[in-house]
Amino acid sequence: MLTFILRRLLLLPLVVLGTTILIFALTQLLSPAMRASLFVRDANQMRDLPAIVRKYGLDRPFYEQYGTWLRGVLRGDLGYSFVARQTVAEAIRGYFPMTVELTVLSFGLIVGVGIWLGTLSAVHKDRWIDHLSRVLSIAGTGLPTFVWGLALLLLFYGILPWFPPGRLSLEADLFVHSDQFRRYTGMMTVDALLNRQWWIFWDALRHLVLPSLTLAYFIAAVLVRVTRSSMLETLRQDYVRTARAKGLDEPTVIRKHARRNALIPVITLSSLVLVGLLSGAVITETIFDLPGIGRWGAQAAAQLDIAAVTGFALFVAVLTVLGNMAADILYALVDPRIRY
Amino acid sequence: MSGTRRWLLYLTLLLALALVGVPGVAQGQAVKNPDTLIYAHAGDHDSLDPAWQYDTLSSGTTLWNVYETLIFFRGISVGDYVPLLAKQVPSLQNGLISADARTFTFPIDERARFSDGTPVTPEDVKYSLMRFMLMDRDGGPSWILLSTIIGEDTTRDKDGNLKPDIYDKINRAIQVRGNNVVITLHRPYAPFLNIMASWSMVISKKAAIAKGDWDGTKAGVARLNNPKTNSDTKLFDGAIGSGPFVIERWDRQNKTVVLVRNERYWRGNPPALRRVIFRTVEEFATRRLMLQQGDADVIDVGRAEQSQVEGLAGVRIVDDLATFVTQALFMNLKINAEGNPYIGSGKLDGNGIPPDFFSDVHVRRAIAYSFDYATFARDAYRGKITLGNGPIPRGMFGYNPRGQWYTTNRDRAIAEWREAWGGRVWDQGFKMTVLFNSGNTARRIASQILKSNLEALNPKFKVDTQGLAWSTYLAQENEGKLPIYFLGWAADYADPDNFVYPFMHSNGTFTGAQSYKNPEVDRLIEEAQRTANPERRRQSYFRLQEIAYSDVPTIYLGYPTGFTVMRTWVRGWYWNPIFFVPTGYLYTLSKGQ
Repeated sequence: MLTFILRRLLLLPLVVLGTTILIFALTQLLSPAMRASLFVRDANQMRDLPAIVRKYGLDRPFYEQYGTWLRGVLRGDLGYSFVARQTVAEAIRGYFPMTVELTVLSFGLIVGVGIWLGTLSAVHKDRWIDHLSRVLSIAGTGLPTFVWGLALLLLFYGILPWFPPGRLSLEADLFVHSDQFRRYTGMMTVDALLNRQWWIFWDALRHLVLPSLTLAYFIAAVLVRVTRSSMLETLRQDYVRTARAKGLDEPTVIRKHARRNALIPVITLSSLVLVGLLSGAVITETIFDLPGIGRWGAQAAAQLDIAAVTGFALFVAVLTVLGNMAADILYALVDPRIRY
Repeated sequence: MSGTRRWLLYLTLLLALALVGVPGVAQGQAVKNPDTLIYAHAGDHDSLDPAWQYDTLSSGTTLWNVYETLIFFRGISVGDYVPLLAKQVPSLQNGLISADARTFTFPIDERARFSDGTPVTPEDVKYSLMRFMLMDRDGGPSWILLSTIIGEDTTRDKDGNLKPDIYDKINRAIQVRGNNVVITLHRPYAPFLNIMASWSMVISKKAAIAKGDWDGTKAGVARLNNPKTNSDTKLFDGAIGSGPFVIERWDRQNKTVVLVRNERYWRGNPPALRRVIFRTVEEFATRRLMLQQGDADVIDVGRAEQSQVEGLAGVRIVDDLATFVTQALFMNLKINAEGNPYIGSGKLDGNGIPPDFFSDVHVRRAIAYSFDYATFARDAYRGKITLGNGPIPRGMFGYNPRGQWYTTNRDRAIAEWREAWGGRVWDQGFKMTVLFNSGNTARRIASQILKSNLEALNPKFKVDTQGLAWSTYLAQENEGKLPIYFLGWAADYADPDNFVYPFMHSNGTFTGAQSYKNPEVDRLIEEAQRTANPERRRQSYFRLQEIAYSDVPTIYLGYPTGFTVMRTWVRGWYWNPIFFVPTGYLYTLSKGQ
C-alpha cells in the first residue's frame, strides 16, 4: 500500500506539468492583442493595447512565456490574478476555506442521504419509499442547480427570511473584522468555535444551509441512484442468500454483507464528487453570493485571467490525484480482496 | 400513521403556515441598519489608489467621498463649480485664471484637514497631482492630466522608457506659491476646470510616504511609474483623504469595500451614515431579494431587469437620469482584410465586401437611412434613450438640439444604395458581418435590427451578426478587422472635447481603427480646446455636428438615460450626470422613514 501511495505521489508533478502545459497552449490560440485586452476595461483604454503586449511579453514565444511562469511556480510564485486583485496563491488561500466549509457540510449530507436512501430504496424495491426516492432523485438530477438554488432562496429568504445569502450577516461581519475576533483557519464556523462566539457560529451556519442543501440535493440524487442499483445487484448475490440462510437478521445482512460490497461504485463516485466540490460549485456560490474558489475559477476563465486559470487548473489537478488516491485506499479498506 | 408519514405531514403544515402566516417583509418594514447604507453592485473594484483607478465603481466609491478635489460640481450642474479644497473657483474675473487662460491659481483652504487630523497643504495637492501624472500605468487615467497640463499623453517614449525630462516638466507646470497651487498649462484648454473637478483627488503626502509610496523625488519616479499590477502600488487598498468617509477595509475575498464616517470631517458635521458598504453580488436575483429584504439599500439593475423591481413595496426607482454616454455604430473605412472572417470573399461580388467598402459615403449614408431607430430605442432600451445626432450627448455643453440627423427612410436608403460604388452594390449585393460584444443585450438587439433592415431592402444583401467576447472584440477592433460594429463611450469629464476627440479627431480612440481623417475636423477640435470663449466653442461643436452628419463614418444611435433602484428610506439622494455609481455623493445621504 505504501509503495502504491508513493508511486501515485511521484506521478503528481507529471500530471500537474501536463495540465499546465495544456492550459498554456490553449491560451496561445488567442492573439497577443486579445490577451492584452484583459487589462483593458473600456473603450477609453484601447490606445494602450500595443504597450500592454510589450510590457507583459505577450508576443514572446510560447516556451519563453511558459518557462517564465514555470520558474515563478518553482519559486512559489503562481502569478497575479487580475480577477482576484491578489496573487494566485493568496486567492487560493483566501477562497478555499469557504469552499471547504461548504464541501464538508454538503458532502456529509450527500453521502449520508445518498447511501441511506439508496439502500432503503433497494431493500424496499417497488414499495412507496422506493418510488418516492426515485422520483426525488430524478427530480434532483433533472432540475438544474440554479433553478433549485433560486427556488430555495426565494422561499427561505425572499418569503421566509430565515437563511440569507452571503457569508455572514452585517453584525457578524462587522464583529469578525473587529479586534475581538481572531482568524485561525478562514473557515467562519471553525473560527467562531475557536473564538467561542456561538452566535457567529450560528450566523455562519445559517448562511451555509441553503447552498449546502442545493448542492446536496443535486448530487445526492445521483448517489441514490448509484447506491440503489449497486445494492440491487449485490442483494442478488449468492453470499447474501447464504447469509440469510444462516439465519442472520436482516439488518446485519444488509449492513455487513450487502451494503459493504455495494460501496465500491459509491466510493468511486464519492471521490469524484468530493474533488468536484472542493474545486468549487460555481453556480451555487454565485447564487448564494459566497466567496468560494469555484466562482473565482470561472470568472478567471471568462475574463482570460491566464495566471489564475493556470493556477486553478494546477490546484484542481492536485486535488484530483489526491482524491483518486483516497478512493483507491478506501477500496482496499472496504474490500479485503483488493490489494496494491 | 407511520413515523415518517407523520413527520412529512408536520413539515408540510409548518411550511404552509409559514408561507401564509409571514407577510412580505417589505410592507411596513422598519428601517434596517439605519446608520449603514449597503450598495449591492454587479462589478468589482479594481483599485482604491486614486492614481490607478479608472473603472467607474472604484472611482464612484472614493471620489469626493474619500478623496476630495480642488473644486466640485454645484448640485446637479456639470458646468458650474463650487470650491472644495480650494477656497475659490478660479475665473478670469477673480484673477485666478491668467489673461492668456494658461495659468490657474488654486488658493487652498487652510481649514481643510485629512481624516487623520493633519492639515491639507498646497504641497499635498502638488504631490497628489504629480503622483497621478507620473504613475501613468498602461490603460490608466494619467493621460487626462498629462495631455492637459504638459501636452503629452504619456510619460514614456516609444520604447516604453521613462522620458528623462518628464518629472521636470510636471514639476515646473505645478508650483506651490505660498498657500496657492499654481498650474500652468502648455496651452489654453477650456475643459480644465471640469477636469479639476473630477481628477484632482488629493491625498496626504506624509501618510503615503509612510506607507512606502513615492517620496516625491525625481529619483523615485522610476519605481512609481507604470506598475505592473494594481496591487504593486502601495496605496492599492486606499490612501488618506480629506473626504467625509474613510476606507475601513477592502475585503477582496468577500468583494466588499467598507467606508466609515470621518468623525472629524473638516467642512462641518460628520455624515449621517456611519458606514457605507459596497458589496459585489453578481446574481441579479440575489440582489433583488436583498433589496426586498432591506439587506441592500441600493442595487444595480439592468434595463432588461427593470420590470422585476417595479412595484416592489418600499422600493423607489428614479428613472430618466441623464448620463454622459454615447452609443454608436462604427464603420471601418479601411478594413484589415488579413485573415478576416467578417468580409466574406473580400470583394464586391455578392459574397463579401471589399476592405474599402465603407469609404464610399453613399454606403455609410445608406446604412444610416436603413437603420430602424424607433425599434432600436423601444427594444434595446425600453424607450429610455435619446436618439443621437452627434458625438456630444444631450445635456452637455455643445450639444445641438436642432442638429440634423438621419431617420429611418426606406426610399432614401435605396437611393443611396443605388448610388454606392456606381450602383454595383445594389446590383450585385454584398455579404458582411455586423459585430457586437457578447453579453451586451442592447447591442445584440441593434445588430439584429440592422440585419433585418438591410436584408429587407434587397434579397442580395446578406448580413450576419456575431457577438465576440469583450477581449476579442477590443483586440480585433484595434487591429482594424471589424467592418461594422457597435461601441459606446462614457465621459471621463463633462466636456464635449472628451467626446468629439475620441469620436472624430484623427488621433482619437475610435478614428484610428476606422481610418477616418478630416483636417477640418481636427482643426475645429483643436480650436475649441484652445478658446475660453464659450460661444466660439459652441459654434465649433455645432459645425462638428454638421460634419458628423455629412461624413457619417459613425452613426450616433443615442444617449441612454440611467435609472437608480433604491429603498424609499434612502434620504438626501440626488443625481449629477458625472457621478459614476448610483449611490452618488454619500455625504448628503441618510436613512429614515
